[in-house]
Amino acid sequence: MNCEEFDHFLDPYLDRELDPGKLSQLEQHLSDCPVCRSLVQECLDFRSFFRSNAPVYTAPPRLRANVLATVRRERLKSELAISRRPRIYAAAVLFFGLAALTIFLPGNAKELSGQAVARYTQSLTTNHLVDIASSDQQVLGPWFATKLNFTPPLADLRAPGYPLLGGRADVLQNRPVATLVYQHRNSIVTLFCWPPNNGLLAKGNHFIKGCDVYTWGNAACNYIVVSKLDKHETDAFVDSLRARGESGSY
Amino acid sequence: MRQNQLLFEELLLPHLDGAYNLARWLVGTDQDAQAVVREAYNQAWAELGEFRGTDARAWLLTIVRNRAGTWMRAHSKHSRTIQFEEASNVVLSRKPSLKPSPEERKRELHQALSRLPFEFREILALRDIEGWSYGQLASALSLPSDTVISRLSEARLRLRQEMTEVQRRGSEGVRE
Repeated sequence: MNCEEFDHFLDPYLDRELDPGKLSQLEQHLSDCPVCRSLVQECLDFRSFFRSNAPVYTAPPRLRANVLATVRRERLKSELAISRRPRIYAAAVLFFGLAALTIFLPGNAKELSGQAVARYTQSLTTNHLVDIASSDQQVLGPWFATKLNFTPPLADLRAPGYPLLGGRADVLQNRPVATLVYQHRNSIVTLFCWPPNNGLLAKGNHFIKGCDVYTWGNAACNYIVVSKLDKHETDAFVDSLRARGESGSY
Repeated sequence: MRQNQLLFEELLLPHLDGAYNLARWLVGTDQDAQAVVREAYNQAWAELGEFRGTDARAWLLTIVRNRAGTWMRAHSKHSRTIQFEEASNVVLSRKPSLKPSPEERKRELHQALSRLPFEFREILALRDIEGWSYGQLASALSLPSDTVISRLSEARLRLRQEMTEVQRRGSEGVRE
């Protein structure tokens, strides 16, 4: 192998992409040729400089929230499209009817959301955010168990920036619900939840009287989140709840 | 659908930084890169059912790369070079005899990269930042393996030439 041939294989050699036969030819040439050895060293130095100094960018937090929000919207759209297909819808009603379950229709979720927003606003205007001020699960758990006969999922969201201020026992549509009050900067995020004994709450995202409202239900609980945060911050809150696992998935 | 969302969040969201980094390399500004990444994730979501491989990062980055190419064709009709934001509008001026400081050399590198054509930035980002094999490059870029080798060699050579050019302009105080 001469220097010109060596030059042709220089990049695959440095990238370790040569087959063993070619590699041994190159190494033989390298051991004989100081000029090519020096070229290899120069290339290695530049690569090392490049790796240490090439720009590396990190995604802004807002982008993560945007990507998640878009996917969530698309998912809701698809699910709504499916639920509107008459045959599937009829089959679903029949199935759940047989199972003696009641599925809340989106209209009912919206009505519940309206009441949740009213409670959210009332708690702010009357400055009565919580019945019990604590973020301690050992305190809140027994308190809710006594008041409501159930313990809501108690997620500590201090780390992602939503410290738990405390809890409240509320009523939505004549149904006792556990209310958990979180703070984000100077704003309040309220999570209403109750066991899905009478059916799962429909998934949805509403904007009611200036509040962003998310509703969903799973085997553990029905949930309504009300906040006046920016949309991406509410999304981040819902994601944090999800990530905690205790609150099921959105 | 819920399973898809779980797949999406577990498989693809962890690679958001990589996707954004590649997009910045390819289209330059933060705003454009964010738009490209959003488009790429939308496409990935729509095509999630078609993902059969094991390397979700490579799959996602291929989508980012395709989206960035479309973006550049649509938004920069005359030039496919870009400006890395931190490298822009900085005149690297020094006396030729002085050795550049590490910070100056870094800026020179960024300026040199921004002067490379899209295809060269792309192959450098995928090979030297992401560490893709020649086989992966050939498949994602739809190139014969010989062309992968020659494009990579050319990109590296051109990068060093552009660095020399940036240094020359700096020593002469030439503003772009």
